[in-house]
Order: sequence, then structure tokens, then C-alpha cells
Amino acid sequence: MKTSPGTHVKLTRRQALQFFGGALAALTLPTGRLLADPAPMLTKPIPGTGQQLPVIGMGTWRTFNVGSDPKLLAARTEVVREFFRLGGGLVDSSPMYGSAPDVMGYALEQLGRPDSLFAAEKVWSPAGGSAREQVATLESQWGIPGFDLVQVHNLTDWRDHLAALQEMKTQGRIRYVGITTSHGRRHREFERIMTEEDLDFVQFTYNIAYREAEQRLLPLARERGIAVIANRPYGGGRLIKGLQRRGEAVPSWAREAFDCRTWADFLLKFIVSHPAITCAIPATTRVEHMTENMQAGRGPMPSAATRQRMVSFIESL
Amino acid sequence: MTDWTSYRLQDFVPFTEQVYFRLMERMGEIFWPLHLLMLALGGGALVLALRAHPRSTLALLAPVWVFVAVAFFLQRYAQLNWAGQYVGYAFMGQAALFLLISVAGWGLNDRQAGLRGTVVVGVLLGISGLVGVPLATLPADGSWYQAQTFGIHPDPTALVSLGMVVLGLRGPVRWLAAIVPVLWLVISGLTLLALHSPAPSPFTAGGFPG
Repeated sequence: MKTSPGTHVKLTRRQALQFFGGALAALTLPTGRLLADPAPMLTKPIPGTGQQLPVIGMGTWRTFNVGSDPKLLAARTEVVREFFRLGGGLVDSSPMYGSAPDVMGYALEQLGRPDSLFAAEKVWSPAGGSAREQVATLESQWGIPGFDLVQVHNLTDWRDHLAALQEMKTQGRIRYVGITTSHGRRHREFERIMTEEDLDFVQFTYNIAYREAEQRLLPLARERGIAVIANRPYGGGRLIKGLQRRGEAVPSWAREAFDCRTWADFLLKFIVSHPAITCAIPATTRVEHMTENMQAGRGPMPSAATRQRMVSFIESL
Repeated sequence: MTDWTSYRLQDFVPFTEQVYFRLMERMGEIFWPLHLLMLALGGGALVLALRAHPRSTLALLAPVWVFVAVAFFLQRYAQLNWAGQYVGYAFMGQAALFLLISVAGWGLNDRQAGLRGTVVVGVLLGISGLVGVPLATLPADGSWYQAQTFGIHPDPTALVSLGMVVLGLRGPVRWLAAIVPVLWLVISGLTLLALHSPAPSPFTAGGFPG
């Protein structure tokens, strides 16, 4: 039914029937569901500043390293679009991830820079150049004036890099500094740095099948007021694929306890419901998986008792 | 947990299987119909090696290695893997080595080929690189551009060149000239293993002498 300025709308009998039929059908729907907004994305404060961060972020290791292939660049842009459409914030990358910083730059150029973007990068010695030079290069790759967070990747030359990043933070070039590790590597040294240095963020591996961080790193992060990013939430993909391959639905008790609908819900809600975790960063190449990931940041979260039951369930498999 | 025991093969491959096969496909799309010229060069190199003209064989291979170094490794693969540029330099070094051996005449095997073990191995390697790899990497339901070709993609280039090295060189020079092709085939095989790819690799499909 097209109209143009100054013309009267002529409603045909068929259109009138469609209109009233639709209105009657709408009246039969449950009013609550029709009017209610979907549950908002859960956010947690960054301890140092109180800034709220959505609990589901986005990793880019392997998934966003697509080079200059136009077809794959367009596909990853759609993944980023879905991430921000559903309230995403933190995107984490590294110069070690090949073309991933360029691919983020391409996506942001196509989509515009969303207000909710919390850009997290890393400095990594083998990439060459000083921390300051690396950050400048990464800013130009992302096409943004500055990063919210810059971390020392896998503790490489952490003394030099951390000192340089602290200086950049003082100058207002970056907002937060942090350190990272993964796969449980160098936790003893990591703990020492957390104790001795002034950090805003730490990033390490934490998931339902790998919970070593619960012993010392997570309590220490709470004690020291450090935000925690959990990497490898799906154990590099093997955890969720293993569960999905079993062909079973999530347990009914999980559905009842915290509205758990998918294995992504199960794995991610376990992580972000830990009081010391600020944000988890699953990585994906597919829009539908991004939708599932983001759903896990909404609705009720498992209690401490339910989390224990989730661990027992996974250990029983 | 110690540092090195915590690493898996996958930790050294910073891209997905989809990206790897798209790279192969893009090389095919961008450079077609250069494949035909490259296959003619590869076939010519094999014939020249069998007719005991190793200088000409190596002189033909050198520009092919420079092309793969630049077009595949430096311009594309290095975007995905920071180590790719070093492999590109190694391929350029191999081209220089082929040219140097060709000019200096070191370790050339210029005797007419009889039916010896090394000749059989060299011919098998050459034919598997020129024909076997393109057929084995031709996807059943994907684009034929994914088929890996001598002179366009590194695996068949390394395999054919290894065959020429076996046929045309002898002594320590043969071993020296085999280092880069063999190393690349090992790296490529491990990469496919890490990507859990069902596609055959020259590492398993063609084999090579150690």
C-alpha cells in the first residue's frame, strides 16, 4: 500500500480484512511476551573505575584471521554486526593473530564504530617494535583513535612492555592495562605480577573443564580489584563440539535453574556467573553461533550450588 | 603445567581450515590460466631432467620458486601467519640456490637416466606433483580452483622440485637442495594435520625421500 504526499489512502476490502484479522490475532497473544523487552545483557563493573562491561565479549584468535579475502571479510563483518546488535562490548585481538586486527578495522569501517565498543589489544614482542609503536600500528589497523585496554600478550618481555603501557595510561593514550596468559601457562609468575604490579585487567583460561584459576588467580583478582577476562571458554571449541556431538539436550535441571537452553548457555553462564569473572570472550566465524553466545549473557545465572552441580555433571561424562 | 608440554599442534596454526582452503581457491581464481604455463614448465623440467640437462631443469625451476615466494607467501600467506614471510624468504633462497647450482655446475648429474631406483623415485615425485596433487586436492563438491597446481601452490611446487633434485643432482648438493622442499612439505603436512583436514597432503599422498 504505497502513498505519496497529498494523496488519500484507498483501503481495499482485502487490505481491510488483513488489517482487522491481524489485529484480532495480536489480541490473542500473551500480553506479557508481546510487550516485554528481551532480558538485557548482564554487565559487570570494571573494579578500578566502575565502568560497566557486558559479560559476553568476542575473541578473534583464528576466527578473524582471514587475510584480504573479500568473501570472508564480508562474512566476519556480519558476525561483528550481530555482536553489537545484541549488546556486545569487549572485542579482544592481538598482533599475534595475523590479519585479525585488520579484519576488525574492515568491519568497523563497514559498520561504523558502535558506542558500546570496548577495544582490547595486546603487545607481543615477536611482532617487532616497541609497545608504543605496536599500539600505534594496531590503532591504524583498527581505524580507531585509541584502545580501551592494552595487555601484554603471554607475558612476553612483560617488564618493559608493562612499564611502557603504564606510561601510556598516565598520558591518557590508553585507559586500562593488563597481562594475559592461556592454557594455564606460567600461573606462578602471573600470580606474582598480579600481586606486585598495578593492573586493571588480567586474562587467562577459565572454563568448566579447566578451573585451575579458581585456586589462586580468581580469588587474588577479587582481592586486588582486577577485572578478569576468561579466554578459551569452549576449550578451543573442543568442549562445546564434544557436548553437541553427544546429541543430547541440556539437562532439564539446568533449564529449570537458570533457563539454560543451549550448550553455549551452559558453558558461558558457568563462566560469567563466577563472581570474579568480568567477561568471557568466545570466538566464532558464524552469525548463528554469535547469536547463541550473546543469549548466554541474558536472563538468570546459575547459583553457587547450581555451578557445583554443573561441574559434577561435566565430570560425570 | 610446564610451558612447552602445554602446547598442541593447533596452537601454531593461527587460521581455520575454511581460510586455508579459501587461500588455495583464491590463488587458483587470481592466476588462472597461468596454471597451464606452469604445468608446461613443470613437464618441460621433468623431460629435461630425464634427458640429462640438469642445468636447464634448475634454471626453469628458479623463477617458479620466486613466483610462489612472492605471490603465495609474501603477498598472501604472510597476512595469515607472521612466519609466512620467513618461508617466503626461504623459497626465494631456494630459487637462488637452483640458479647458483645451474650456473656453477656443482653436483650435476648429467648422465643419461637409466632405470635406477633414484630415477624411479624422481619421476614418481615429479608426476605426483604435476598430476597427482591437483587431482587429489580437487574437491568433490567445491570449486576446481582449489586444485593445487605446480607453480601456483607451494606443495606441488616443492614435490616436483624434489623429484628434479633427485633426478638432476648428486652428492651433498642433492641433500642441500632438498632441505627447503622437504621442510616445507613437513610443515604443510603438519598444518593439515592441525586443521583436522581430511584432504590429502603431499606429505601422505606422494611421500618423499628423507
